[in-house]
Amino acid sequence: MGELLRDDAELILAERRYQAIADILESTLTKGEGKWTYTDMFDHVFLHKALGIPIFLAMLWAVFQFTFSLSEPFMVMIGMIFGWLGGLAEELIANPHLASFVAGGIFDGLGSVLVFVPPIFMLFLALSLLEDSGYMARAAFVMDRIMYKLGLHGRSFIPMMIGFGCNIPAIMATRSIDNEKDRMITILVNPLISCGARLPVYVLIAGAVFGAKYAGTVIFSMYLLGMVLAIVMALVFRKTLFKGKPSPFVLELPAYVVPTAKTTILHMWERGKWFLVRAGTIIFGTVIVIWFLSVHPWAATAGGEMIGNSYIASLGHFLEPIVRPFGWDWMAAVALLFGFLAKEVVVGTYGILLGVEEGAVGASLVSLGLFTPLTGLAFMAFILIYVPCVATIGVVAKETNSYRWAAFVVVYLVALAFIVSGLIIGIGRLLGFS
Amino acid sequence: MAEKRLNEMRKGEKGRVTEIAASGYLRQRVMDMGIVRGAKIEVVRNAPLGDPMEFLLKGYNLTLRKEDAANILLEVE
Repeated sequence: MGELLRDDAELILAERRYQAIADILESTLTKGEGKWTYTDMFDHVFLHKALGIPIFLAMLWAVFQFTFSLSEPFMVMIGMIFGWLGGLAEELIANPHLASFVAGGIFDGLGSVLVFVPPIFMLFLALSLLEDSGYMARAAFVMDRIMYKLGLHGRSFIPMMIGFGCNIPAIMATRSIDNEKDRMITILVNPLISCGARLPVYVLIAGAVFGAKYAGTVIFSMYLLGMVLAIVMALVFRKTLFKGKPSPFVLELPAYVVPTAKTTILHMWERGKWFLVRAGTIIFGTVIVIWFLSVHPWAATAGGEMIGNSYIASLGHFLEPIVRPFGWDWMAAVALLFGFLAKEVVVGTYGILLGVEEGAVGASLVSLGLFTPLTGLAFMAFILIYVPCVATIGVVAKETNSYRWAAFVVVYLVALAFIVSGLIIGIGRLLGFS
Repeated sequence: MAEKRLNEMRKGEKGRVTEIAASGYLRQRVMDMGIVRGAKIEVVRNAPLGDPMEFLLKGYNLTLRKEDAANILLEVE
């Protein structure tokens, strides 16, 4: 009864409110009926039965291209600048311990943070153009049917796609999802979308163990595996942690407008600043910790030259029994530990451990027989799934405003990585591969 | 005059809302957006994949999934 009364009160309030609005409009507004507005014309094309989806995909492709091809030279530049600064520090600072700290800790740490600024700026520039022009709501409208089937909301599609470039801006882009449950699921499964940093590792391993002929197919299968896992986990989370249906798709399709430079740049700047200040500190701190573990004990590693004697290598040896059943050795464990920093670091780590240039790592992986096709495939799957890089974890912590959710992401992804890689090894061995 | 559910209306059809059979959050949301008894609604189009639908009401464009639109009853004009 109480429920009914409350409901009725709401209904009456809403009706009276809109009646009042209608009365006022009646006496003040003259409508131009029947004319086609620009919005009608654009929507006739953008939401066309046959053209709607191709146009949406083309827009997405354009955003992607814009973001990652425009930011790449800047990312390379930032890498070079901090590499150069590090070299300078090692040359000019007399105390080698301090020099190593400045170069490997501070400058590498700053570099790891700043390198993400160009893609974040570019992406949010592109996204705020789409959002402010009014297209973003249409994109959600176009994709909602597919996403709803997967237990998500139309607004989840764009963050998922951005994940192929980089999970950090992708997770930051989930802010456009207004329902908390929908947004949390999108954040939790986003690291499974294979970001650009994982590609160099796939290229290395797939190239080494499958040869140029099959490498492409194998790498593609990794992207596919990531997408399938993201869909499966989204459904699992929807059935367990975030029960219920995706929120109703009650969305206004606003009139198209030309975005103003001021709001667009403000949007971009706020996201970039947020990343630097909030996530940047977490990333920077972790880089310092990893630096410490990789050049100490100072004497045994000869000042960071012999990474094989470092704490992190000891940790790798300690963890070897866990990865042994997968056919990997302690070097793989160390590479995975460094991969926590950024996935592409795995390649460089192998380079240091094997004592060869990065370009020659593949060849020496083959000659040493460190991976068979089966164990290599399982390793790539592990790289895909296990802990996202420290920057992603930092962003998850800040976006969910909870270190617990960040920890949860790490734990569930590591568990999932062990399960999937274990299945690959198990099934592969059953089929007679080694 | 025929009564229909909002999801059954075709492109270009217009109607006046007679009842909102939704409850909870959905009911609140649609009422906030101006879907109240007596409101005029016109179907503009379906999304390219068939769902959700787009409507014109009170001079602006609103979307709803078909399963949610099924809760809104109209008198077709």
